[in-house]
Amino acid sequence: MTNHYIDLKNSDVILIMGSNAAEHHPIAFKWILRAKEQNGARLIHVDPRYTRTSARCDYHVPLRSGTDIAFLGGMINYILENNKYFKDYVLNYTNASFIVGKDFYFKDGLFSGYNPAKRKYSKDTWVLEKDGRGIPKRDMTLSNPRCVFQMLKKHFSRYTLDKVSSITGVSKEDLTKVYAEYSATGVKDKAGTECYALGWTHHTTGSQIIRTMAIIQLLLGNMGIAGGGVNALRGEPNVQGSTDHCILYGNLPGYLKMPVASLDTLEKYLKKCTPVSNDPQSANYYQNYPKFFVSFLKSMFGDKATKENGFGYSWLPKMDDGAAYSLMHLFEKMYEGRVKGLFAVGTDPAVSSPNTAKVRKALEKLDWLVGENIFDNETYCFWKGPGVDPKQVKTEVFLLPASASMEKEGSQSNSGRWVQWKYKAADAPGDAIPVGEITIKIMQAVKELYAKEGGVQPAPILNLKWDYTDAKGRFDVLKVSKQINGHFLKDTVIEDKDKKTRTEFKKGQLVPTFGMLHADGSTSGGNWIMAGSFSATGENKMTRRGKDDPTGLGLYPNWSYAWPVNRRIIYNRASCDIHGKPYNPKRKLLEWTGDKWVGDVPDGPWPPMADRAKGKYPFIMKQDGLGALFGPGMTEGPFPEHYEPLEGPLAKNPLSSQLINPAVEIFKNDMNKVASADEKFPYVCTTYSCTEHWCSGALTRWQLWLLEMQPELYVEIGDKLAQEKGIRNGEKVKVQSARGEVECVAMVTKRFRPFTIEGKTVHQVGLPFNYGWLFPKDGGDSTNFLTPTVGDANTFCPEYKAFMVNVKKA
Amino acid sequence: MKAEIVKLIDTTKCTACRGCQVACKQWNEMPAMRTRNRGSYQNPPDLQWNTWTLIRFQEYVDDKGAFKWLFRKDGCMHCTDAACVKVCPSGALHYSEYGTVGLKSSLCIGCKECASACPFDVPKYSHADDKIFKCDLCLSRIRTNQSPACVKSCPTGALTIGPKDKMLKKAYARAKELGGDANVYGDKFVGGTHVIYVLSEKPEVYEELPKNPAVPASIVLWKDILKPFSLLVAGGTIAGAFLHYITHGPKLPDENGHDAEGKGE
Amino acid sequence: MRKDMIQATDAFERVVHWSLAVSCIVLFVSGLGMMFKSFNFIGTMVGGLRILKYVHNFTGIFFIVSLVLSIRMWWKEAGTFEMPGDLEWMKAAGGYLWHVDNVPEVGKYNPGQKAFFLAVAVFGAAMGVSGLVMWFSTGFPAFAVRWMYVLHALGFLVLFAFFFVHLYLGTIGSPGSLPAMTTGRVTRAWAKKQHPKWLREMDESAKADVHAGGGHG
Repeated sequence: MTNHYIDLKNSDVILIMGSNAAEHHPIAFKWILRAKEQNGARLIHVDPRYTRTSARCDYHVPLRSGTDIAFLGGMINYILENNKYFKDYVLNYTNASFIVGKDFYFKDGLFSGYNPAKRKYSKDTWVLEKDGRGIPKRDMTLSNPRCVFQMLKKHFSRYTLDKVSSITGVSKEDLTKVYAEYSATGVKDKAGTECYALGWTHHTTGSQIIRTMAIIQLLLGNMGIAGGGVNALRGEPNVQGSTDHCILYGNLPGYLKMPVASLDTLEKYLKKCTPVSNDPQSANYYQNYPKFFVSFLKSMFGDKATKENGFGYSWLPKMDDGAAYSLMHLFEKMYEGRVKGLFAVGTDPAVSSPNTAKVRKALEKLDWLVGENIFDNETYCFWKGPGVDPKQVKTEVFLLPASASMEKEGSQSNSGRWVQWKYKAADAPGDAIPVGEITIKIMQAVKELYAKEGGVQPAPILNLKWDYTDAKGRFDVLKVSKQINGHFLKDTVIEDKDKKTRTEFKKGQLVPTFGMLHADGSTSGGNWIMAGSFSATGENKMTRRGKDDPTGLGLYPNWSYAWPVNRRIIYNRASCDIHGKPYNPKRKLLEWTGDKWVGDVPDGPWPPMADRAKGKYPFIMKQDGLGALFGPGMTEGPFPEHYEPLEGPLAKNPLSSQLINPAVEIFKNDMNKVASADEKFPYVCTTYSCTEHWCSGALTRWQLWLLEMQPELYVEIGDKLAQEKGIRNGEKVKVQSARGEVECVAMVTKRFRPFTIEGKTVHQVGLPFNYGWLFPKDGGDSTNFLTPTVGDANTFCPEYKAFMVNVKKA
Repeated sequence: MKAEIVKLIDTTKCTACRGCQVACKQWNEMPAMRTRNRGSYQNPPDLQWNTWTLIRFQEYVDDKGAFKWLFRKDGCMHCTDAACVKVCPSGALHYSEYGTVGLKSSLCIGCKECASACPFDVPKYSHADDKIFKCDLCLSRIRTNQSPACVKSCPTGALTIGPKDKMLKKAYARAKELGGDANVYGDKFVGGTHVIYVLSEKPEVYEELPKNPAVPASIVLWKDILKPFSLLVAGGTIAGAFLHYITHGPKLPDENGHDAEGKGE
Repeated sequence: MRKDMIQATDAFERVVHWSLAVSCIVLFVSGLGMMFKSFNFIGTMVGGLRILKYVHNFTGIFFIVSLVLSIRMWWKEAGTFEMPGDLEWMKAAGGYLWHVDNVPEVGKYNPGQKAFFLAVAVFGAAMGVSGLVMWFSTGFPAFAVRWMYVLHALGFLVLFAFFFVHLYLGTIGSPGSLPAMTTGRVTRAWAKKQHPKWLREMDESAKADVHAGGGHG
């Protein structure tokens, strides 16, 4: 989240799209309801299905799965055509005025630089024109046809109400209603926010859906303000924490980039990863990248990391250039027999990964599988699953009992980036220990083996610092946390010339903020964004529980620690005009008092940008310091474009000749069948969780109170379709896709309504993905037998939310 | 008797997360049953001996054609004039010092009279225990100044509890704020319930919710008329017989009467 | 057998009668214990209200069986009225309530007894049915169960009244009756007074001193 959960209460219009917030964030949802109660906020739910969220919103707008960009693109068009954008903000705080390079173009669904054979773009033409000093050229009148604003306007002018309605299945009246209400927040004293979740990320176009919304928020001046932002409601309990600490294959801790093979030296790597800006007003905060990265290397390899050996850069594993290592790739390679062993820690991919049949087949090709979990699950006992002969499976399986989150101490991060310390509430049963401890123990054994036997490439293992045990050899979670925070590795004096302060730190003291990290090896920091989670004297700020709220906006600055530097709303300088005066005095998030910022922790101490000498632009993490309407960082283009899901009801994209996202990777083998616009699979299908279970249900299905409420797999079918098919409520049906089928109970409902798409009636159905064969025995198996192996072009998040099925009586 | 308390269920804030349904089971240590999906989120299908509170899910299309998904937390209404207390022979069901209806399980004899008497169909019988179970509004928690488990678990503020007058005022203010068909349900019948609803629709729209609940006429006839009358009749019969005996005497065979046939046999 | 005694009932009849009588008393007492808080002490005496409930319920089964047997046994003799004799008798109230010089002659069972029998049969059945519904109330709609409670209370009212009158008339209210239900034999004199027509019939069929007739036939 750019903002945080409590901040939702400050909003005037809340668009919930790509999220079923009431069902999956039932606690956070109270802040959404509070916005309604206290500000009279409008709550709008856009979702294929009428859910418990819809029931609490002012109204629900059904849209066909996978057409969010069309819907939001229509909103951009509406905002620009009707001059609903916040002009002051757009002009000063976004790159609307920048001039796009001459060679950039967009034509019939494709941007310049596309290579159809590789299904990849060269981004060489996705650039901005720069002046002699290397600073982007700007047209402050926004009239240059090559300026970002005009290019954006032109791009989305194709998203007319008629077109959008025909693609999404949303009536023109509903479209206009949502567009008008939401774009009414494009003024100084109104805030609009968007809440999304897996309903957006689980698409081949997921990242671009979020981008589209970010563009809307920039146009309306809703970024960096109280009650604004683009807010990912992340799953419980620690998805934010795990991404912060690099659960994604392309990341190192703190969203640093995983090195690739061609960047074989530290210099090359840092040059590639450190952005340069010639604009003195752009803070370009990532210019500090080397400080963060070298400190990370120092925390990994300690004294072994020296200037001479590139701080041990060569010991980090490197990815092959252009290769991806997502979950889907992992199982693809496993199915090809190229992966020999798997640690499946706290996960149940035999239920949760797309194309379950393939995943379960792939597991049979492993030599060994190690599970770490609090319960057995369908992955760990795949060898005795339905249709598997245990005698034919060679895989050796180990299941290590792990303690549950309440049985261990540590930090947990919520979507608002609050890192909250929690204590152990109960002892784990039996031999169960925290997975952190399991990891340390295994690594110690591996180290000993390398020390004894040598082996290929022993240096990365032997030089690993990893001194995370206490004097008695026990796993010490505080030590890990402090290592993450970082230390001064020698006596250091930090001088601040502006404030005329001089602070001395002793070797071994904790680094109080990432601004004090160094690239010369004199500091360590396991995860730079967490530098400051401890004070220099050792106070664990994550344990703080202060309830004071000086701004009255619910920032609670003394409750836990929020990265970065306890900033509660990021890009908060954008809540003020260029002179530092709040746009909305009633929700004063930050104010420049002439010598300092008062309110939230500002995005940097510099004066507001009207001060041409010292002032900085508000979007300090962007190279150019401004919000990116033109975003060349994305894989499939600087502007979002609607493409159909991999499997959809249409044979042709109504907007262009490109049916699906041109940049997605197509997985090709005998088990990756696809049936798009195929009359055998005529219904759009989506999958989701239910309130009562969590993810694959591997943890919650064993909880009988929860199972009592949601006992088995069901498919929600609109009453019109059910009538057509002669399916009665509560009877058993089969749902089939090109890849597999599941048997489940039909839940006939008015909450799914047919769509009219390109003049034809299209039905949609949906299933939860919380069930597996292991327990309960009669509760149904994985919904992912139906889903295709394909993912977002940027993140490889699988497309669980839109594919095609058939439904028939069992 | 302490100040009366009222639990307010604001259905317009309920997200049907069912935290209350689980919290209730957890606090009261009630087991789960193996259920089936019958084509609804509502599960178990009804209140049960081990399910004292249940979120009811109802798909409803109003007269203007607007679709609504109604959620209603069902459970004991804690009537002031409670049919269950009226019929309970053992005193297991009783009025607590807060005006709510408590249940002393140790006294329950499993006669099930309350189950049929309740206008809201709340008390449920367990065959295994041969006892009746129902919500007691977490009396044990209230007595230690804690809110009931359901209220404690409610994330949205749909469930709140407090002094009767304050909660009624709050309920009416909320209904007024909502406008339309929104109404307060509970204070106008059975002497006023200690659980009241703010409903977004008219009461008759909701499944399993009586429009005008009352102590059933049959129960009144039974308990208030037949019961005292039967005592009267029983006493009267005994008294009558006695009177007959002393005034009229027994009816004796005429051993020495007019009838000669009887003689000499 | 003494010459002046008539066999009025056989052993089976008497067993059934006493089963019914005893179960009635137990049901009255246990029922009262549950119906009125002031009688809850009856429960305490047997070890708690719950036990009293079981006593009541299972005695109820016993009662139902006895009742079924009774009805089968006495239906022919006591279940139908013979006109106009019975009507005449009723006009005179059988001579129970006020002095009547000549009580109209009736058979083995006078209309009062017949009425009592019918009341027991009808309300006893009602008690049985309503009792069973109350016992197994979870299988019936609540509103129907509620009326069963009313019926049960009404049944109690009627049965208790009839029962007590019967008890009175069978004992001190009509001396000589009781042996019919103890030894089974009554005096001719008593029979002559109470059931002259029956006595005559018995004499005609020469059964009077041998057998009481097929009451349970």
